[in-house]
Parts: sequence; structure tokens; C-alpha cells
Amino acid sequence: MKKGTRKIIRTGTIITIAALLGLTLYLNLRDGSQTVNVGDEAVDFKLETLDGEQIQLSEITKDKGVIINFWGTWCKPCREEMPEMNQVYNEGHEDYEIIAVNVSENNQQIEQFISGLSEDLDYPIALDTNRSVTKAYNIGPLPTTIAINKDGEVVKKQEYQLTKEDIYAFIDESLE
Amino acid sequence: MELKEIKCSHCGHDNPPGTQLCQSCGKMINEDYDKKKIKDLMRYDGSAVRSKVRSQSIFDKIWNFFTSIKVGVSIIALIAISAAVGTILPQEYFIPIGADPLQHYTEQYGTFGRLYYELGFTQLYSSWWFVLLMGMLALSLVAASIDRGVPLYKSLKNQRVKKHASFFKRQRLFTEYDSADIAPELAKSFEAKKYKLRTDGNHYLFEKGRLSRWGPYINHTGLIILLIGSMLRFFPGVYIDEIIYAQEGETVSIPTTEGKYYMRNDGFTLDTYDEESGTVFDQSLQNNQAMTISNFQTDITMFENKTADIVGSSPELEEIEDYSIRVNHPYRFDDYELYQSSYDNSQMKSMTFRLEDSEGNVLGENFEVSLDDPADSYEITEDITINMKAYSPDFLEIDENGTLISATPVPTNPAFVFEVAAGDKNELSLLQIMNSTDITPENEYSIKFVEAEEHMASVLTLKKDLAMPIIATGFVIFLIGLFIGSYINHRRIWINAEDGTMNLAAHTNKNYFGMKKEMDAVLKSHNLHEVFDKQAKEENDKLKG
Repeated sequence: MKKGTRKIIRTGTIITIAALLGLTLYLNLRDGSQTVNVGDEAVDFKLETLDGEQIQLSEITKDKGVIINFWGTWCKPCREEMPEMNQVYNEGHEDYEIIAVNVSENNQQIEQFISGLSEDLDYPIALDTNRSVTKAYNIGPLPTTIAINKDGEVVKKQEYQLTKEDIYAFIDESLE
Repeated sequence: MELKEIKCSHCGHDNPPGTQLCQSCGKMINEDYDKKKIKDLMRYDGSAVRSKVRSQSIFDKIWNFFTSIKVGVSIIALIAISAAVGTILPQEYFIPIGADPLQHYTEQYGTFGRLYYELGFTQLYSSWWFVLLMGMLALSLVAASIDRGVPLYKSLKNQRVKKHASFFKRQRLFTEYDSADIAPELAKSFEAKKYKLRTDGNHYLFEKGRLSRWGPYINHTGLIILLIGSMLRFFPGVYIDEIIYAQEGETVSIPTTEGKYYMRNDGFTLDTYDEESGTVFDQSLQNNQAMTISNFQTDITMFENKTADIVGSSPELEEIEDYSIRVNHPYRFDDYELYQSSYDNSQMKSMTFRLEDSEGNVLGENFEVSLDDPADSYEITEDITINMKAYSPDFLEIDENGTLISATPVPTNPAFVFEVAAGDKNELSLLQIMNSTDITPENEYSIKFVEAEEHMASVLTLKKDLAMPIIATGFVIFLIGLFIGSYINHRRIWINAEDGTMNLAAHTNKNYFGMKKEMDAVLKSHNLHEVFDKQAKEENDKLKG
């Protein structure tokens, strides 16, 4: 074997195997659950609301920032933060929208929950009956709140109860 | 001392320093090279020694490290040991679905379990160090094959018919005859034994089964293909093994198809063997405490999604096919297979109640409350209606404002507030599974729990493995190589019929006994004496002491 050929074969083999090994390890160790993080593009979705209307994310983000609040009737922090969100919402929401996505519960439970709150909720409640949106956003704990700007980009995310200050911060972020 | 290239005296090829046999023509450069060795003298003819002589770049160093048989065997040993250790505790896909692995292994097996998990043994085949070992094995196979295979190929391709007398004497099978006249006749006899003949004057070379020498390299090629196949399994979309949970009547999207396929569970069936069927199996069936199950079956309807799928929107589904999935009879579509895995009836579906008056008389029909989507009111008789005022699937407490608070959304401990409306009279009561409390004073009616029904859910396994044909091909090639290397013998016979004497020497890469037998039969037919086996004599001498 010529020296040059030998060098090419040796170097080529080692580099190829190392590259394939690296790629395999990368694919293997990469986080399987692709959590939606700040900076990611928001997955578009279309859900029915409690009032029977259709709501599509991309339609709203055309001219408004959006705050998505994933919640459940059994979740105590949700029960506490939702009236406060409603108060902030009623101070004016010309340039942003709140969508409260209920994770896979029936109307009886949701209505029972809402009637037990201290405020009547004025923002839309979207029903994620088969959890498809919850899965697409890989939501872990409830409540989880996500702010999306007009470019359809996730700009803020919080996986615990919002204070009033947090709510204002989410609105500000979604308008940036 | 500076190492110099060695010019072959025969063909003039420049060989790297340290070469024992010429890379080009195979002539022995170092005469002392195989003096001490008799047994495996020609196993690698050209030999791999050249790669161990002088290292230059880092790539050469890596290469030389991996060409070593010791390193190769160590890698294989490490893989075998890890695979063995990996069988001590169950792998992660055998632990209960949804259990936290770290917690599960620690609770079940203590510190050892924790360590086992931390070291990646619970997912052995995808732990980084196991993948790394596989990569090292691949490099070792390729490097060793190239380093040994190329010189071997050259030396066998360029072998000369004419061999020096000293070569004859060194062979294990070697004999001298007084007369050379018989040589052409002998040659014909060997050719009849399927030997290929080459001659050079009065020198003869017979050869057969050279393919045997390529056995290990074919074998290695198979292993490399196998490793490529197992590597592809890590690539997205190549290998899928997912669980689908579908309650009876439920339509679920098939994971990893990106919303293209949906399936509906039309019903789960569990059949048992008849213990009184009058066959010979009755006795053993009765001895078995539990029921003996004959069939697990899920009837499904497959759908294809015809709409562009926006997450959350209800898809427009077109029915494709009905199928009954049974154990070992999966439903196949595209590259996927859906297997019956297990079933689950632990989720509560509904509860049935009856209404009694103060004297214990049952009023009207029993009423059933769906726990997933309960109705608001239930008609009991013409005059009496029961309204559900509140429901909590997993009752925790009663809130300040009177609503029921649930700990989770799963119906494990349901509680209800029912209002019995009879004419203009309303009574309220709180019902839990084991307990009922009157809310309004002196209730006339009471609601009693009758029975609960569970959801029947099928658990199916979704499988897809595009790498399987590659892995299977690799394995078949591996076996072919193994067969060729093990069962074909590379036999060579040299005859030198010069100067009125005939020297005969023979070499094989395995089974000298068989070769001697074959040769002796030919020699006998020409009234020549048996070929002499050097090693057999040595061993006999040893035995005699």
C-alpha cells in the first residue's frame, strides 16, 4: 500500500467512526422530551372555547401578544391566580389576549370550578380535551404560563403560580 | 539508530522499516523471521507487523492501538461482561409504566439498584459508555481487517510456485522421494481432488479453499453492517417502540405519525379456556387457581387524517380498515406494527346509585353517573329529580364557598353533592364512596351506592424498526463468514521435482489430520509412502516420554 493511500485510509476510517459515534451519542443523549422554552417558535393550535367558539393562536398573534395559561380545576394555585388575572385583564386588553387552556376536563367540572371563583372570568377558556396542545407544548406542572409575542415566539415561561406583578411582567413581555 | 526502508532483493519494492516479508511479492526479507515458529507460520503470511514499527501521527498511534488483538479481545470482553451485568436487574422498559426509574431501582434493590441505575445499566444498550464500546469495536474490526487483510491478499496473490529447499523443510508436512518421474502423474491426481495447479518448470503449486482465508474478513464485514444497523436505531424515525393506551370507544392519535393516523378501540376481549370442555386439558385447567386465558384481543378501526393538522383542531378522519389485534397477530400499516400488550381496568368509569325513602323503599330506577362527563340531572320518578350540584373526582375537602375540591383529576375517590328535588322540596346530601352526609337537616330521602363500573382500556405497543433488515443482513453475512472460516480449509501443496528427487511439502490453515489423510490416499494410489507429519511425531515423542 502506498504511504499516501494508507494515511488517507487510516485518517478517514478513524474520523468517520468518530463522527458517527459522536452523532449517535448526540442523538441518544439529546433530551427526548422537547420542552418548549423561551426563544422557541410557538406551536400553532386551534381549540374550542367553553362558549363554543373556535380560537386559533396564529390568528391572534397577528396583531396581539398572547398569554397562554394552562390550568386544571383541581389545581389550587390556578384557583388563586385566575381571579387576579381576570382583574388585570379587565384593566384593558386591547393589545394582548389571555387564553386559559384547560387540560382535559369535562364541562361540568370546569363550570363548577368557575362558579366557585370569586370573579366571573372574562377571558376565553379553551378546552384541550385530548391534551394535544398540552403535549405539543410539553407542559409539566400546572399552572404553567407562557407569553408569546406578535412574531409567534415564546418570550416568557413560568411553571408556578403567578403574582399580580408576574401577570404584568408577562403582558409586558408579550408586547415587546 | 535510524530506521531505513528495506528494498526487496527480489522485486525491488521499498518496504517500511521492520518488514519481514516483502509487501509486494511476499518474499521473506528477514530470514530469521519464522525460524522459531512452525505451527502458525503462515497464518498471516504477510503479517501485520509493519504497522507496529514506527508511529508517526496521532492517527497512526490510534490505528496501531486498535489493530492489536489484545485490545480487540479486551473490547469484546468488556462488551460481554457489561451485557451480562445488564441482565442482573430488569431493564428500564420492564419496570411499571410511569414509575420514576431512580426511585424504583432504589426502593426495590437498595444502594446496588441506585448504583446500577446511575451507571446506566438499566438502559444498557443506550448508555453512552456502551455505545462508545461499540464504536471502539467497530474501529478495532476495521483497523485489524485492513492491517491484516491487505498484506494477506497481496501475499496470496503474488505467491510464487518455486520455493527454496529450506521452505520445504520448515513445513509441518514434508517428505522426500527418490524419484521425480511420478510428479506429472501425481499432479493429475491432486487436480482430480479439486486442487488448482500452477507450475514453474519442475515446480508445482497446488492450492484449494483459499476462500477460507477470507472468512474472518467476511465475518468482520457482517459485524460492521450489524453495528451500522444498530447505530441507525438511534436516528430519528428509524426505531419506534411506544405504548398506546386507549379506552373502549376512545379514538387516539397514533404517536410519531404526526397526526396522520388515528385508531379507535372498538372493544377489548379476554377469553378463557373452558374448564369443562371434555378434553384432556380439563384437569390441568381446574388445577390452575386463576382462569387460564386463551385470547387477548382488541378490535380496532384505523383512520387516516385527511385535514392539514393544526394541533388541537378536531381532525377529519377517514376510515381505512377494521382489524382484530391478538397476541402475535399485530396490525401492520406503513412500516408500523401494533401489538396487543396488556389491558387496564383500574380506571373508574361510572357509579350507579339508588334512591331510598326514609323507610328504606327503593324509588324508581337506579341512576348511573358517568365519572368522565357527568350529567346535571337524573330523572328518578315523575315527581322526583336528582340534580348533581357538585362533583369531585378525587375528593380532598370542601372549600369555604361550598364547592368540592379535588386533589387530582383522576376519579379515584369520587364525591358528589346531590340534590333530591321532590315537588317543591329540596334536600341536599354529600356522598363519598364509603360515607354519606346529610347537608340539609332531617332528610327524608337517602341515596345509596349500588355499584361501580370500570373503564376497559387496551394497552398496545407501537413498533417500527427500519434497521431490522440491515441488522439481519449483517448477521447472515457474519454467519457465512464464520462458516467459511471454520469449515473450509485452505490447503497448499508444493512439489519440487528437480535433480531426480522429489520434495513434497504441504500447508493448511486448519485440520492437518484431514489434509494428511487426503494426501496419503493420493500418494498410496501411486505406491508412494505416506507424508511425514513433523508435529504428530513430536507429540508422539512427548507422550512416550
